[in-house]
Amino acid sequence: MTTWPPLLVAVVVVPILGAVLTPVVGQWRARRAADWALGTMLLTSVVALLLVARVADGGPFSYVAGGWEVPYGIELRFDEFSAVTAIICLLGVLAIVFSRRYAEHALPEVRIPYYYALLLLNLAGMLGFSITGDLFNLFVFMEILSLSGYALVAVSGEKIAEMAAFKYLVMGAVSSIAVLFAIGMLYALTGSLNMADVASRLGGAPVAPVAVAFGMMALGFMVKAAIFPLHIWLPDAHAIAPSPVSAILSGLVVKVGIVGMLRLYQIAYTSRALDLEALNTVLMWLGALSIVMGAFFAVFQDDVKMMLAYSTISNIGYIVMGLGLASSAGVIGASVHVFNHAIIKATLFLGAGALIFRTGKRTLTDLAGVGHAMPWTVAAISVGAISIVGIPPTAGFLCKWYIALGAVEAGHPFFAFALVFGALFIFIYYIRMVNAFYFRPPRDPAILEVREAPASMLVPILVLATLCLVMGVLGRIPLSFIEPAVTRLLAPIGGG
Amino acid sequence: MKRALVIALLLAVAVPLLIAVADLPPHGSPDAPAHTHVAPRYLERGAEEAGAENIVTAVILNYRGLDTLGEVTVIFTAMAAVLAVLVGARAVTALDTPASALPVSMIVRFIVRVLAPFIVLFSIYVVLNGHVTPGGGFQGGTIAGALVIALTLIMSDEQAARLLPRRPERVLQAAAPLAFIMTGVTGLLLTGDFLGYPVGHESALVATLMLTFVEIGIGVGGAMVIATIFRTMGAGR
Repeated sequence: MTTWPPLLVAVVVVPILGAVLTPVVGQWRARRAADWALGTMLLTSVVALLLVARVADGGPFSYVAGGWEVPYGIELRFDEFSAVTAIICLLGVLAIVFSRRYAEHALPEVRIPYYYALLLLNLAGMLGFSITGDLFNLFVFMEILSLSGYALVAVSGEKIAEMAAFKYLVMGAVSSIAVLFAIGMLYALTGSLNMADVASRLGGAPVAPVAVAFGMMALGFMVKAAIFPLHIWLPDAHAIAPSPVSAILSGLVVKVGIVGMLRLYQIAYTSRALDLEALNTVLMWLGALSIVMGAFFAVFQDDVKMMLAYSTISNIGYIVMGLGLASSAGVIGASVHVFNHAIIKATLFLGAGALIFRTGKRTLTDLAGVGHAMPWTVAAISVGAISIVGIPPTAGFLCKWYIALGAVEAGHPFFAFALVFGALFIFIYYIRMVNAFYFRPPRDPAILEVREAPASMLVPILVLATLCLVMGVLGRIPLSFIEPAVTRLLAPIGGG
Repeated sequence: MKRALVIALLLAVAVPLLIAVADLPPHGSPDAPAHTHVAPRYLERGAEEAGAENIVTAVILNYRGLDTLGEVTVIFTAMAAVLAVLVGARAVTALDTPASALPVSMIVRFIVRVLAPFIVLFSIYVVLNGHVTPGGGFQGGTIAGALVIALTLIMSDEQAARLLPRRPERVLQAAAPLAFIMTGVTGLLLTGDFLGYPVGHESALVATLMLTFVEIGIGVGGAMVIATIFRTMGAGR
């Protein structure tokens, strides 16, 4: 199957166009901004699905804007990893639907058009980030998504939210500078910004600058991914942001760091300029530490969203460990967990958002017994919880199984142990949550009187919960979809 | 103790960076990859194949136009971020503070008023001439934005509010990405490629018009964004 070549540009230009026009459309009625944003994302989703269908059929393809040849113009390249665009679009659509009632409730009305504009910009930045084949272009999209992310955390206008956003901004700015500096060094070494071209010209470069450039880039992306101990900005930002924003930040934006790492690996492995053994060892250890520390902190949280935020750190640990293992099964498991965790964490954050919207409470203690009042929402949250623990029929199981296999395959059975240990911890705190919602007596009987979430919230949550189950049953499809990309990635170092 | 730790941390970052930078190809060397790989093509053929006599403009708007579209989107994002965080938040404090704390000196007022038309003229010159000489939409837009800020400082709030067009304000704020995308789509229709510019002697005028349109869009959008950010942050001062 082929598609019209410029369609690849459309997947980022359409949401940018939609975003800059959202304040215009929403200047008379805020609801129009919501409709407009939804329409924009639905159109973008159609484009993204066509692109994913094409890559599944015929492998990676490129488009160079302006009709230039490759190192001179900016190449957009869509490979199997770029299929994350489909998840970005899916969560984007659902978060916008969910925001309809939520934003009216949580934000001053004059801000709503800008809220949707920023949401679209954030999605556009992530879409561009995952399809570009050019290093500087990668940085530009990273800035769009970072800047909009900081603002989305602060948008509710509460003091604590502004503080969280500021912390996020400072850490994010440091990571952006690290990445930009690394790109500058790679340009000085090769005279090119095209990723494939850089990889092919990096061969004979001096070792010290290459090592520092790769190191800085990895550092920058690891801050974005919030790996332990670079995670300190995440819990507040993700817990305090409006819930649909939390779903996008926790489900997608931290994955930008992972996609960035995959791009870095593509350059580094192909160029063979450097042995990445040291970096991979660091990543495995940090991954293992993240799994354990994230889970450990999560156990002590009473605030539902805070707990979910720490659980993200834990799950990013799985992904980073899988990447560091550099074995076929490990990287496949990690890549697919990028998709699955996005769905699961969005289910949980949107579910938590619906509970907070109806009850006005956000701690496990206060929410005790809510399962009787909001059965559908809590059922969906429970499905999400089972998935994230990784119990077999759900989406979380296969990836973790693959990462554990990868650890054994790479000769590090200890890390498989860390993974199982982490899963146990995760099991404890999610069982605590489900237990509180269903079986603990309510602290305030009034909680039994609240109504089920409105349809515009419930439908996205149920769609996501269903996907958690479907992705578990059909789990082999994404695994075999991503496999050729991983084989190509690891081929130069003799893996795969 | 804390200071010693900070110094140690800075050294730990600085030393590897310095070692790495020392190993980079020497700055300004004609043999450096930065000067021998992609750049020569821009210098040798930029003027004829990219439609702009100024090579910087050729790279920014044509060869690497997609980056610049991204950058104007970053600028728009910054404005949307400021508005999303500040709009509707300061209404209370605005009533508390006196309308004007310190009267502006007559000399300042006079000079800003005298210079205003010349600043406008110069900003238009910088925008339009960016095609040939260094300069362009970003620089010209900043000059115009700075003028709006200077005028705001010498005027009452009601007068200052009239400086920016009220009606199409939100369209003008998005002028830069809008003009860019419109030009990109025009290129798609004319050449078959997004952000493609027609090449060749007979279509040189079309390419020039497209480039100028983008420059004007960036200029108007940039000025609006700077003025809007300033006004939002100063609301209720």
